[in-house]
Order: sequence, then structure tokens, then C-alpha cells
Amino acid sequence: MATISRTNLEKQLNILDYALSSLWRRRLKSLSVLLVFAAVIFLLASFQMVTQALTDKARQVLVHTPEITLQKMSAGRQEAIPLAYQEQLAGIFGIRKVVPRIWGYYFDEVRLANYTVMGMAVDQMPEGARLDTALASGAMPGPDEQGRAVIGQAISKALALEGRATFSLFRPDLSLKGFTVSGEFSSDTDILTNDLMVMSLADARDLFALPSGLVTDFCIYVANPKEIETIAKKIAAALPSVRVLTRPQIQKTYQVVFGWRSGFGSICLLAALAAFVILAWDKASGLSPEERREIAILKVLGWETSDILAVRFWESVIVSGLACLAGMTAAYLHVVYFAAALFRPVLMGWSVLRPELQLAPRIEAGDVLLLIAFTVIPYLAATVIPAWRSATVPADSALGG
Amino acid sequence: MLIELSGVSKIYNQGRANEVRALTGIDLGVEQGSMVCLKGPSGSGKSTLLAIIGCIFPPTSGKAAIADRQLARLPDRFLTLHRRETIGFIFQRFNILPELTVLENITLPLLPLGVPPKERRQRAHELLERFAISHRAKFPAGQISGGELQRVAIARALINNQPIILADEPTAHLDTALSREFMEIMQQLKEAGKTIVIASHDPLVFDHPAIDRTVTIKDGKIHVS
Repeated sequence: MATISRTNLEKQLNILDYALSSLWRRRLKSLSVLLVFAAVIFLLASFQMVTQALTDKARQVLVHTPEITLQKMSAGRQEAIPLAYQEQLAGIFGIRKVVPRIWGYYFDEVRLANYTVMGMAVDQMPEGARLDTALASGAMPGPDEQGRAVIGQAISKALALEGRATFSLFRPDLSLKGFTVSGEFSSDTDILTNDLMVMSLADARDLFALPSGLVTDFCIYVANPKEIETIAKKIAAALPSVRVLTRPQIQKTYQVVFGWRSGFGSICLLAALAAFVILAWDKASGLSPEERREIAILKVLGWETSDILAVRFWESVIVSGLACLAGMTAAYLHVVYFAAALFRPVLMGWSVLRPELQLAPRIEAGDVLLLIAFTVIPYLAATVIPAWRSATVPADSALGG
Repeated sequence: MLIELSGVSKIYNQGRANEVRALTGIDLGVEQGSMVCLKGPSGSGKSTLLAIIGCIFPPTSGKAAIADRQLARLPDRFLTLHRRETIGFIFQRFNILPELTVLENITLPLLPLGVPPKERRQRAHELLERFAISHRAKFPAGQISGGELQRVAIARALINNQPIILADEPTAHLDTALSREFMEIMQQLKEAGKTIVIASHDPLVFDHPAIDRTVTIKDGKIHVS
């Protein structure tokens, strides 16, 4: 029994050896197939890794967002919310803090860039949620500090401050409002703070010319994070005209956004994969006269149909395995060292101020297996199944007439 | 008898529009250690008969026993296994794979047998030395001379020490000197106890003194003159 299994093992090793030499003999063809296949895997793996890395990054950064955000809705659109709601909200059991906030977008016509402006009473925010930890330098503007702002890395570059600490923005009536930079956000939080400008509530109100007594939303912090959903329901019941957004919902939205973009890209790339597999099938099912002759000779020399199929199988395993390894390694390097340059515009939006992220792809066994299932297995099927037809070349075709 | 055929017929594509009757009622016996030549024009059925003796396919009807094994109705897998152990083939134009080295070509029949690389090389080198081509072992087969190619083909047919050697038109593309050399090697193999069947219409083969018997095949039947 042991002798039989050893002979079988030797046989498989011999066949593997023959498959390797066969690939080497047709090295130009093998290399071109390997390169195309690796390129397809590289694209798919890059998409998967970038999506994963972005989702992870968003999850890390969203820790700074309030547990519940309230916005007023009217005719299905968001509008300013009365500050008077603050008292009503403070009476709901379980709410720790209610912080009013004014935020909006400021379009810088000179630099053709959009900034996200956020005015809030930072001092009212509870410990641990004050965004101080997101700062690379400086400090958040105090409630009485007028004309001071903390800005994101991209805004600093866009404004070309170069040592200056002041800049101006236009109010809606085109009068200028001056600011002094009181701090800069850390690049670690670029995904959310890259284009962000935080100032006092009064400055934001002044910049957007928002009437007093109104804010754009409320940030609500709860005593027990496990109670977020319950408290959200209480708020929705107490104030039916407001939209209640919880942190888990926002996290989910980010995941869906990245997931949707990744899915869209993946579908496009799967079409490329399908084209490659069809090409591989076409190649494998066609047989050149030399290949027919080789198979016939091998069969006359005592090779079984299954042996010839095994050669084809090992050839495909080697090509697809190497392509998978090369494609995934290239994808990893592309994401880590080149910040996924090929897919950033697709996956991270089309903002002029794209964050310069240091992405760290997370590779999970499940993702690798999924990628193999979508690439290697179709390739094996596309090359080994038609090889069955090739392997049944009659042995007598090696003989003369 | 090492090879015994009785009433053997072969019909290709039986029952179809393109049916071809290749052999009809062949009776043939070949004793162990003898050398037989199957003579006949192209398309006479020599290669079909050689394929049946070589266990490539079974006859459509009749009995074929090769080395004590009845071939009729033997599944393809068992024909292959029997062929591996019993038959060494030498083809027309030798059918050597030009991209493989001489050594790799010779050891091809040993790969599916699970013979380890060291033993494969050892067996091949013995044959290479025997046929004085050991200096060509690592050369691609496409780069060696016709005479060397012929010896490589013979070495490949002998690598598994099979008792029967079948040669299909071996001298069809050789000059007179190489054809004579080929027959000399066949004679040596016969003297070493091998049973040899050669399909050829070359007088240098069928008139060679080492040939014990010449069987003429015409239109798929044995022709008695």
C-alpha cells in the first residue's frame, strides 16, 4: 500500500515536473497569459484592498462624530433647526450633552475648491469628543474667540498659507471675513478633516449669514452608548419634524458608499475577467498540430488521458497561482506605496481636495479566498474542461497511414 | 506465441456514412524473439495492424492476444497499462519532441510510471552509452543529426525494457546508411531476446537477413503470394 502511494506521489511529481518544463518550453505564451491574468487580478485585488482600507479608515475616524445628529427636515429637505429645541432635548433622559452646530459648504471660486465649514461650541462638547485629538498643531477656537479657525491639511495647501496665519473668506454679500489659523488637523484624520474648517458658532453664523436663533443641526452625546438607538427613538417621538442620525447609521452610510463604488468598479473589472476567461477557454479548446502530435506521442508512450489532463491542470494551477501571487502583491504595493493612485478618483469621490491618505490594506483570508474563487477557479475551469477534448486525441494519430 | 491474432478485423467509424474497413480476417502469430516485417503499400492497413498489436485500440472483431493478454473488449485504460509494460514504439520520423532534450525524450515513458528522477536518468544514461550518444544527453532533440535521432527513438522504445518493439516505417525518411544502421541495431535487439515487428515497404528492411518472416498486407488482408 505504501509502495503504491509512493509511486503515485512520484507520478504526480513527474507530471508536475513535465508541466513546468512544458510551461518553460512555451515561455513566451505562458508569460503573456500570466501577465494578462496578473493584471486582471491586480485590478480586482486593488479595488478590494482600497475599499477595505477606506472602510477601516472611515470607521477609525468616525469615532469623533457625535453619537446622534439632529437635523430639521421640511418638504424632504434639510433646513435650519431652531436653537429653542435644545431645551426640549436636554429634558430627554439619557442625553448627556446637546451641542448646537452650524455647518455648510464654502466654495472658493479662486481655487475652485469646496471647503466644509463647521461652527460649533467646542467647549460644550464632552471630554473625549472635542476633536482635540484630531489636531496636529494648535488648539480649537474658544467660544469667545472670534475670527479663529482650525483647518484641514488640504485647505492649508489650497490657501497657500506658507507661514501666514491669516486668510479671508467671502460672506454671501461678498464682504470679506478674516480668519486666523489657530490649528491644523492631523493627516491621520484626512479622510474626514482634509477639507474641514472648524470655527466658533458665531463665526460660522456670520460667514453663512444664518439668522440668530437657528443652527444647522445638533450634536447629541448620550450617557450610555448602548442606549443610542433607544434615545434616538425618544427624540424622533418628541420632535417628529427632525431627522435623527445615529453614529452607527453614518458608519453604515460610509460603508455603503465605498461598497457601492467598489461594487461598480468590480463589476467593470469582472467584465474584463470574463473576457480573459473566454479567451483562455478559446485558447485551451483549440489545439495546434504540434500539440496534437505531442499528445498522440505521449499516449502511444503509455500516458493515460488523465495524465495529460493532469499536465494541463498543473500548468493552469501554476499560471493562475503565480498570477494570483503577482497580482495581489502588486495590488498591495499599489495601495500602500502608491496610495492606490489608479482608483482614488473612483473610490474617494471627485473632490478637488482629495485627502492624501496613507492606506493600510487589511488582508483577510475570506477576501483572498473570494478573489481566488472569482479568478483562479474560472481560469482552471476554462482551461482544464476544454483540455478534456484535447486529451482524447487518439493515440494512433502518431502512427503513419 | 507472444503475439497471436485470429480473425482480426478493424472497422473505423462503424455504422456511419464514413465507415472504413481497414483490416479483414487477419491471422498472425509472432514467436518470442523473432523479427517480423509487415510489408505493403501505403493505406494497406499496416499501421492499423501495428496499432492493434501495440494495444492502442482493440480490434472490432476477432481475437488478439499480446503477451498472454486478450485485447478484445479491454477498456482503454487497461490497454494503456498493458502497452506501457509490453510495447516499445519506434515511429515514422521517430516522433521525437524537438523542444525537449534527448534525455527528457528518452525518459518520457517513465513519467506516468512514477519512476523517480534519479532512476530515470540512470536508465537513460545506460541506453545513451549503449547507443553512443551520451554526449548528446542535454541537447535539445531538434538540434541533433538524423542518425542520432534514430538512436534516441530506439533508446526511448527500450527505456522500460518492454519485450516487444514495434516500428512503424522507421526507415521511410532515412538514407541508405542510416537504414542499414537501424537494421543492425534491430538485429542486436533481436539477439538480446526482443520480439520485433516492423511495418515497412523498404526492401532494405524486408530483405534484411535478420527478418525471420515477411507478411504482405494488401487492402487490409494478408496476401499470400
